[in-house]
Amino acid sequence: MAGVELLSDQGFRIDGRRPHELRKIECRLGVFRQADGSAYIEQGNTKVLAAVYGPHEVRGGRGKALHDKVVVNCQYSMATFSTGERKRRPRGDRKSQEMTMHLQQTFDATILTTLYPRSQIDIFVEVLQADGGNYCASVNAATLALIDAGIPLKDYVCASSAGFVRDTALVDMNHLEESSGGTELIIATLPKSQQIVFLEMNSRLHEDNLSAVMDRAVAGCTDVYNVLDTAVRDHVGETAAAIGGDAA
Amino acid sequence: MADEVRTAQPKEFYRKYLEQGVRPDNRELGEFRPTVLDIGSKNGSCISTAEGSALIRLGNTIVICGIKGELAEPKTETPTEGYLVPNVELSAVCSPQFRPGPPSEQAQVLSQFVANVLKNSQCVELEDLCIAPGKMVWVLYADLICLDYDGNVADACVLALTAALSNTSLPVVRVDEETGKTETDFKEEKKIQLTCTPISATSAIFEDNVLLVDPTRQEEELSTGLVTVVTDGKNICSLEKPGGSPLKDQQMRLCIERAFQRHTEACNLITQSQGSTLSTLTSPLVDR
Amino acid sequence: MEVMETSTNSPCLAALTCVLGDLSQADGSASFTHGNTSVLAATYGPCEVRMSKEILDQATVEVVCKPRVGLPNCADKYRERHIRDLFQATILVNLHPRSSVMIVLQERQDDGGLLATSINAACLALLDAGVSMKFLVAAVTALIDKDGNINLVPEEKPSDVEASASLTIVFNEKDLQVMGVTSSGKFSQEQYDRSVSLCRKATEHVFKFYRESMERKLSKSV
Repeated sequence: MAGVELLSDQGFRIDGRRPHELRKIECRLGVFRQADGSAYIEQGNTKVLAAVYGPHEVRGGRGKALHDKVVVNCQYSMATFSTGERKRRPRGDRKSQEMTMHLQQTFDATILTTLYPRSQIDIFVEVLQADGGNYCASVNAATLALIDAGIPLKDYVCASSAGFVRDTALVDMNHLEESSGGTELIIATLPKSQQIVFLEMNSRLHEDNLSAVMDRAVAGCTDVYNVLDTAVRDHVGETAAAIGGDAA
Repeated sequence: MADEVRTAQPKEFYRKYLEQGVRPDNRELGEFRPTVLDIGSKNGSCISTAEGSALIRLGNTIVICGIKGELAEPKTETPTEGYLVPNVELSAVCSPQFRPGPPSEQAQVLSQFVANVLKNSQCVELEDLCIAPGKMVWVLYADLICLDYDGNVADACVLALTAALSNTSLPVVRVDEETGKTETDFKEEKKIQLTCTPISATSAIFEDNVLLVDPTRQEEELSTGLVTVVTDGKNICSLEKPGGSPLKDQQMRLCIERAFQRHTEACNLITQSQGSTLSTLTSPLVDR
Repeated sequence: MEVMETSTNSPCLAALTCVLGDLSQADGSASFTHGNTSVLAATYGPCEVRMSKEILDQATVEVVCKPRVGLPNCADKYRERHIRDLFQATILVNLHPRSSVMIVLQERQDDGGLLATSINAACLALLDAGVSMKFLVAAVTALIDKDGNINLVPEEKPSDVEASASLTIVFNEKDLQVMGVTSSGKFSQEQYDRSVSLCRKATEHVFKFYRESMERKLSKSV
């Protein structure tokens, strides 16, 4: 790993975190009026917005409708100013299309799709600032937005990533760590049932180390879950208080 | 009860309120919705990957603006002028009425409107964006994304753009005369100087005679015409009334007057926001 | 249909020329020239409307602006929107619910004041087609030069660029009230007021010209 030292001798990472530490997560539900559900999440310097519309009638031709379950339609888009270099196309490039597909697969597996046959749910994700872990932040934001919209899910979906540097597994990689060319494993889990809904790994990793990296990533997902759950409970509490206040 | 009337008989619903000189959201006819502004700076808030950024919340309408700089060769006709390219995106996120896909007609019209405002007001001297005449200039891309659409996106866009531009810094770039190589000094930054601050104010015409400033989405849908006036405090930079109901001269004068009032308000807001240090982008998103 | 040309010279405007009904396939057409700017307008309808654009209690006005060369850009879209909103408020749209009135505008030559010329051409084409309207509309462009003088006639080598500001104002015939405004450049409120009163006078000539053109056309065809 030329140039930058991803893990110091003292066991600190570039941004001063310990290997098992997540970046600071700030999130908020119900940020928009027009959408049926919306959420905003900040994981370190990665900032993502998600909006959910639906369930509603199937748009763009009835041929797309499924007779036994809902169509989950995702769109991942990155603001042109979200990256260091200006992005020419906010969506439609291969990377975004791949990301859209991954999100779709993830949520197809999580939403209770059979409850809404012949309907459609739209999940729109907008990355405002990208600093690594875009997929993870998108999944976490979309989960919150779906919860805000009141769409039945099997469980929260929480995503996290892990890498492997100097015999140590690092959780929640930032952009610098991601782009150094090492291993990165991205995972999305249903934390309660400890099921994996999405898993992707790139670059090389010795088989012996795989379980260590996976464990770190899954632990990261659980940590994310705790943060999201607190946020949801706070939000529901606030909303309930607001409704109660109106009635009084 | 009120909600049902609002959905079933929106015109009647509004008429009842307007007879009393107020609007359903407790505003007076000439009153803007509460505006929250978060102007990005290098040390933290808003978008730090952009050279300048701003997030604005006008009632429920939310628009974010990011400014990115790139280097390019100038046109041969204007060797000392840089470029300023605005673009408005009405993404599928902001409203169910916008579908994913290529930019809608409304988005194109808005982009053109913002471009006209920049051109007419000349708030950024394009010559300031020149690095080496005939060889290299800055291209500033101003991308505006509407995140929540509740009417009057035009005013929100202009304010977001002005606010973002007022806090945009570019690294100093030097071009070696002989080798033609460029050298970027990221430590040394230069702020973009605005010659003026264009601010717009839109009014919707209701039933041919009442003028509602800063219309919400429902007010826009019910209106029989829109008037947008952009001022820089002294002069009018743009006056747009695309068709709709005919307007008496004194009504037009009222719109212009309101635009000047709004200019003072908005300028104060920009100065205040620049002073304050909001910790996260959430601040304008939170307050409702 | 026989084609004829009408032209006029008025004291405050450049020469106006128009040919009505020179397209055989369109329901109404007009080619309108003001000074050196010329636009050809064709209207179709009321006819069938695309499902997605259908309005339950009104006709949908559709406008297409074709540039002289190349594909339509943002500026053309902008003009389209302006003209569409204008005629949506001018045509008696409630007479033809769930149908479409299409206006196609082909730019022939642009020497300043393209929007105004397009609007006038469209209005004449609608007249030619016999589409019912609440009132007629006419647009005039005023140029404000650096010294604050307001000019309606583009001079020798004219263009919007040389003037410090320009205003295109649309009036209706009924009570000469402002229907639409577009501007470029900076100007003061006082300059705006003066432009409005000047343009208002000038549109009376345009309306007179509409009348003459129609009279010529109708008297010949009989």
